[in-house]
Amino acid sequence: MLFSYLLMSGITTGALYGLVALGFVVVNKATGIINFAQGEFFMFAGFIAWMLHVELGVDYFVTFVLAVAFGFGLGCLTDRIAYRPLAKSDVVSLVLATVGTAFVLKGLARTIWGGKADYLAFPPITSPDPIMLGNVMVIPQQLAVLAGTAIILIVFTAFFRLTRAGKMMQATADNARAAALVGIRTDRIYTLAFGIGAAIAAAAAVLTAPLTLIYPDIGFAFFLKGFAAAVLGGLNSLPGAVLGGLIVGIAESMAGGYIHSSVMELSPFIVIMVVLTVRPSGLLGAPRARRV
Amino acid sequence: MAPFGRRNVLLALLAAASVLPAVANVYQLFIANLILVYALLAIGLNILVGYAGQLAFANAAMFGIGAYATGLLQVRLGCSFWLAFPAGALTAAAVGLAISLPALRLSGLYLALSTLAFAQATQWVFLHWESVTFGAGGFKTPPLSFAPLPIDKPLGLYYLSLALLLGLFFFAQNLVASRVGRAFVAVRDGEVAAQSLGVDLLRTKALAFGISGFYAGIAGGLYSAMLNFVAPEGFDLFQMVLQKSMIVVGGLGSITGSVLGAGLIIILLEALRAFKGLQEIVFGGLLVGFVLFMRGGLVSVLKRHLRGWEEPLRLPQPGSSVAAPGRLEAAAGGAEP
Repeated sequence: MLFSYLLMSGITTGALYGLVALGFVVVNKATGIINFAQGEFFMFAGFIAWMLHVELGVDYFVTFVLAVAFGFGLGCLTDRIAYRPLAKSDVVSLVLATVGTAFVLKGLARTIWGGKADYLAFPPITSPDPIMLGNVMVIPQQLAVLAGTAIILIVFTAFFRLTRAGKMMQATADNARAAALVGIRTDRIYTLAFGIGAAIAAAAAVLTAPLTLIYPDIGFAFFLKGFAAAVLGGLNSLPGAVLGGLIVGIAESMAGGYIHSSVMELSPFIVIMVVLTVRPSGLLGAPRARRV
Repeated sequence: MAPFGRRNVLLALLAAASVLPAVANVYQLFIANLILVYALLAIGLNILVGYAGQLAFANAAMFGIGAYATGLLQVRLGCSFWLAFPAGALTAAAVGLAISLPALRLSGLYLALSTLAFAQATQWVFLHWESVTFGAGGFKTPPLSFAPLPIDKPLGLYYLSLALLLGLFFFAQNLVASRVGRAFVAVRDGEVAAQSLGVDLLRTKALAFGISGFYAGIAGGLYSAMLNFVAPEGFDLFQMVLQKSMIVVGGLGSITGSVLGAGLIIILLEALRAFKGLQEIVFGGLLVGFVLFMRGGLVSVLKRHLRGWEEPLRLPQPGSSVAAPGRLEAAAGGAEP
């Protein structure tokens, strides 16, 4: 009973970590960097969704679409401000610029919404009472999260496989110079990658919001766990991100249930350290030549 | 010699710092002491990030380890401050050396993230190892006394910090001009090239981590004595951004810049004391703004406009190919679409 409950909640949070990880992978595949503001996109979109849904009474599905669109815009803006001017610069500058962006977003959220309450509650969109599926106890919102994640993954895969922009992104990730030579405007592809990464984080945030509370520091927790998931799956593998997310989520839930709840916060550190020392390319990632 | 040469400015700053306690009130003295502590932190971080090019995020954790070790040795084992303080600094240096072990395998982004995760784990230990660290509430350290000397604690601590900063400033200044310092810069600008010149990568990186850990540990010990109190939240992510913005604003790859950056950021922090959100916006914005528009930091501006400001700026030129060989392809693709 406890096991199946833990497994279910692990899969749910794991799916969300997988989405955040997907955001990392999209940006990393295209640009080769890690966007340190990814967690803050998640947080900021969560607050936007809260404002729309709770304060302005917008319908949940409309809120979802608006928040994702907002996330996309925020991601594109981050590319223009903190990535494109530095694209030829060294890694130190790029990382510091995205770290700075992350803190500006966090400070903005704290200034705008922080005064209302430290932790904002998002009303559940489904009935809060658990239901029984066979002999597994499930909270309906968990099913909503899983369904939402599945839909996002399908849309995302279709985008990459079927649309022109998606194919251009794949080409750029494969070989930026060759892509530029055949006429792909690679700097637009980078903007698109940042936008899509942020949009996925925003989608994850709106799906998570009814299950948790929103606060300005929530971004960092999801940042670290999403990154752990991305590293575990392989930083350049899209299916790996989802797989990594599920593994991190389930392992964390089990550790929280059977050992102690405080161990959950330590999971990203353990995962990152073990993967980086044992298998830096991750479970499904293609090994890259070492960057010197 | 030019009147505003670097040496003259530094001497003037030192003179001002020495006579400050005569004119400052208790609060101002506290802030001045805080600046001295952060100058130590910034110098250590600049050696690691600005010179050796190791993008590590564990400095706030080292700062915390220094503070905790100094405090806990006094509280748990009854050591005197004068024993606990150097022991705390050495503990931080040892941890710095230990986390440099993965640094040989990891570079750039991976190093940044693993050290970030390490910092988070350190925070977790401070919070949850309650039988030793007293958990989230923190603990009080015994009051520090300069017993045989007829001076009170704030004043004594201020001069102790000033003396340590002075000594460690010159140590850093000489270090970066030495063979070791040139090895740091060589490792930063091209690991393969450095290795082919006979630089031992593991030793050089480990040394940079150890030295920056030692500086952070010294700062941590002084900080715990200043506050007479140690708690986990002083050593979190915000602390990390604070220190990063110090070295970026002052100037990456400049020891003088670290000191100037620390002074400026702490004064700004005090001015914004009541507004947590605004602090994050300002320091995050400074980080982005300086990286984008003023890569050499304040020191590069001083160097350009003040005659006689001889600053051995060791900064990779923006856009130089040695700075980011791994990203060359992406850069070439993005430049001329």
